[in-house]
Amino acid sequence: MIPVEYELILSLALFCIGLYGILVRKNAIIVLMSIEIILNAAILNFVAFSSYIPPSGDPAGQVFALLAIALAAGEAAVGLAIFLALFETHGTVELDKIRLLRW
Amino acid sequence: MLENAWLAWLILGSPLIAFVLVGVVGRRLPEGGAYVVVGSFATSLVIALYFLAQVLLQGAVGGTTSFSIPGFTWIPGNPATVTEEGKIEIRLLIDNLSAFMLVLVSFLSLLIAVFSIGYMHEEEGKPRYYAEIALFVAGMLGTVSADNFLQLLIFWEIMGLCSYLLIGFWYHKPEAASAAKKAFLVTRVGDVLFLAGILVIWNVFHTFRFEEIAAEIPVLWGSSFTPQLATLIPLLLFGGAVGKSAQFPLHAWLPDAMEGPTTVSALIHAATMVKAGVYLTARSFVFLVPIASGGGILVAAVPWTAILVVAIIGGFTAVFAGSMALASYDIKRVLAFSTISQLSYMFLGLGAGAYLMASEAAVGSPEVNTVGYSAALYHLMNHAFFKALLFLAAGSVIHAVHTNDMREMGGLGAHMPWTSRTMLMGALALSGIIPFSGFFSKDDILAVTFETGAANPLFYLLWLAGIATAFMTAFYTFRMWLMTFHGEYRGHGHPHESPLVMTSVLLVLSAFTLASGFIAFVTNGFGNFVFYEEPHAALPLVTPLLSGNVVELGLTGLSLALAFAGLGLAWVVYARKSIPASTFTRTPTRAFLHSMLLHRYWIDDAYNAFGSRAVAGFGRATDRFDRNVVDGIVNALGRGTVVTAALADRFDRKVIDGAVNSISLETIRSSLALRTRQTGQVQNYTWVIVVGIAVILALAFILGFLPRTLGRP
Repeated sequence: MIPVEYELILSLALFCIGLYGILVRKNAIIVLMSIEIILNAAILNFVAFSSYIPPSGDPAGQVFALLAIALAAGEAAVGLAIFLALFETHGTVELDKIRLLRW
Repeated sequence: MLENAWLAWLILGSPLIAFVLVGVVGRRLPEGGAYVVVGSFATSLVIALYFLAQVLLQGAVGGTTSFSIPGFTWIPGNPATVTEEGKIEIRLLIDNLSAFMLVLVSFLSLLIAVFSIGYMHEEEGKPRYYAEIALFVAGMLGTVSADNFLQLLIFWEIMGLCSYLLIGFWYHKPEAASAAKKAFLVTRVGDVLFLAGILVIWNVFHTFRFEEIAAEIPVLWGSSFTPQLATLIPLLLFGGAVGKSAQFPLHAWLPDAMEGPTTVSALIHAATMVKAGVYLTARSFVFLVPIASGGGILVAAVPWTAILVVAIIGGFTAVFAGSMALASYDIKRVLAFSTISQLSYMFLGLGAGAYLMASEAAVGSPEVNTVGYSAALYHLMNHAFFKALLFLAAGSVIHAVHTNDMREMGGLGAHMPWTSRTMLMGALALSGIIPFSGFFSKDDILAVTFETGAANPLFYLLWLAGIATAFMTAFYTFRMWLMTFHGEYRGHGHPHESPLVMTSVLLVLSAFTLASGFIAFVTNGFGNFVFYEEPHAALPLVTPLLSGNVVELGLTGLSLALAFAGLGLAWVVYARKSIPASTFTRTPTRAFLHSMLLHRYWIDDAYNAFGSRAVAGFGRATDRFDRNVVDGIVNALGRGTVVTAALADRFDRKVIDGAVNSISLETIRSSLALRTRQTGQVQNYTWVIVVGIAVILALAFILGFLPRTLGRP
C-alpha cells in the first residue's frame, strides 16, 4: 500500500504546478487548465485520505471526489463561456490585456 | 376757637384760582387779567385781616392763639398707633406769626399788582406776567400758612419756580435768562440743605408738624434728639434760609435778579421770596431756643453754635452787602444790596435774640425775653413797606427814563414830584432816620445785639458791624436818591410823572412807611403780633427808647448820628459837590477798593471761575480718568479678548482643523498610493491572495504550530 505521504506530496506538487500556471501564464485557457489541476490536487487529497482513515477507510471521501469532478466539469463550462464572452467584447483572452476588475 | 376756619383756604386759594383763570383765558381779559389778580389778592387780604383780628382778639385774653385748620390726609399713618404715626396731612396753621405774615404778604402783593397795571401797561405777555405773579403770591401765602415742614417746602419750591419764571420774564434778553437760571441754581443750594434738614427732622421726630415737633423736643431730648442733631437741624434749616434770603455766601443771585421787571423785584424783595428765609428761621426758632415741656426754656438743648452762626452770618452779610451798594450805579442794584443788608439785620436780630433769650434762661431768669425775635419780625414788616415803596418808586423812575443807570438820571425831582417825594420817605426809612419805621426796628435790633454783648463779647463786634452798616446804608441810599432826583438831567428824552395808578400806590406805601413804625407803641408793643412761646404782657418792644436807660439812649443817639453822618456825606458829595466823587478813586488804594466793590468782591467772578475752572477741571479730570483708566481697562480687556481669540483661532486652525485635515489628507494620499495597486488584472489580485495566504500560514506556523511543537518535552 502506498504511504499516504507520497500521495500528499503528489497532491502538493500538482497544487503548486496549478498555482504557478495561474500566476504566470497570460492565456485565459491555460489559467483555466491550471485551475483544473489545482482542483484535481484537492480531489486527490480526498481519495488519499478516504483510503487512509483508520481502521479501514471511509467511502465518503471517494463519493465527495466524484461530486467534485462533476462540479469541476460545470465550472469548466462556465469558465469557457465567460472567455467566449470576453473574446467577443475585447477581441482577446490574454489576461494582461483585460482590466475589468477595477472601479 | 377760630370762626369760619375754612375761609383760610381761600387766602391761598384765591390767587391760585386767579393763576389758573389768567393762565388759561388771560388773553381775553382786560389788561391781561390784571383786575382778576388784583381782585384775588384783595380777597386774600380781607380774609387774612379777618383771621388776624380773630387771632389778636383771642390772644389778648390769654388763650392759645395757634390754630391748625384741617385739610386732608395726604399720606395715612400707622393706624395701630394712637397718633397715627407717620401721617402726613395738608393743613393750615393760623397763629400770630402766620396771620401777620398773611396780612403783610397779601397787602403788599395787592399794592404791587395795582402798580403793575400802570407799569406793565405797554408790555407784551401780560397774561403770563399776571398768572405767574398770582402763583408766586399763592406760593408765599402757602409758605407762611403751612402747618408742617413738608408743606412749607412745597410752597417754598413753588416760589422758587415762580422767581425763576419772573426774573426771566424778558427771556429773550440773555442777561435775564442767565439771571433767572442763577437765581434758581443758587437758591437750590440752600434748598438742598433745607431738604436735608427736613429729612433729619423726620428721622428724629417722625412728624413734620411744627406743633408736634415743638412738643416732642423736650420728650426726645437726650434719647433720639442728641446735642449733635440739636446743632445740625437748625444749621441745615438756616442753610435753606441763607439761600432764599440771599445771605453770604449764597447772596450772588439777588443783585442779578434785577433783570426782571421792577414790580417783580419789589415783590421778591418786599413781600415774598427773600422774606421766606426769615420766616423759616422764625418758624423754626424752637430749634434755636427749645421750649421745655412745662414752659420756660430747655437750656441744655440750646445749640449755641448754631445761634452764633445765624448771628455772625447776619452781621457779616450786613456790612458785606452794604459796602457793595456804595459803588453800584444801577438804581435797582443799590436797592438789591440794601435788601440783602437789611435781611441780615433780621438774621442778626433773630440770632442775638435767641442768644439773649437762652443766656438769660441759663442764668435762671424766669422771664422769656422775646425782644430780639420780635425786633427781627418788626424789621421784616417795616422793611417790607419801605422796600416795596423804594422799588416801586425806582420802577416809576425807570418807567420814565427807560434806564437803570443812575449816571443817566439826575434832576428828575422837577419832572416827577410825587415819585421823588415818596421815594425820599422810603430812603429816610431805609436810612433809619427818626421817625420813619426803619429807625425803630433797626434800633431795636442793634440794642438787642448790644445787650447780648454782655453774654458773649462777640456780639459787641456784630453790633459794630450793624452800626457801620447803618452809616453805609444812609450814605448809599442818599447817594442813590440824589443821583436820581437832584442836579441836572443827564439822560435823553423828556421824563414825565407816572400815571395815577402808580403814584397812588406810592402814596399809600409812604403812609405805611411812616405809620408802621408806631405800631411798636400800641398796647404792649409789636411782641403782641409775633410773640414766641406764650403771650407776654411785659417787655414792650420799644424798651430802649422808653426805658430811659442812659447807655441805650446813647447807643440810639450814636446810630442816629451815624445815619445822619452818612446822609450828610452823600449830600456833600452828590448834591453840593464840595467833595468831588472822584475823591473816592483818586489814589491807587482807593481805586482798588472801588473796583473791588464794583466787582462785588469778585465773588461772582470766583463762582464763575469755580464753575468754569473747578467744575470744568473736575470734568476734565474725570474725562481723563475715563479715557485713561476706564477706557484703558476696557481696551485692555478688549485686547486681551482679541489675543485669546487669536490663540483660540490658531489652536482651532492648527490643531483641530489640522487633525481633521491631516486625517482626510492622509486618507486621500494613501488612497492615491493604494489606487495604483488596483490594476484590474486578475493575476495581480491572485498574487496578493497567494502571498497573503502564505504569510498567514507562515505566521500560524511560527506563532501556533512551532511553539507547541517546540514546547513539547
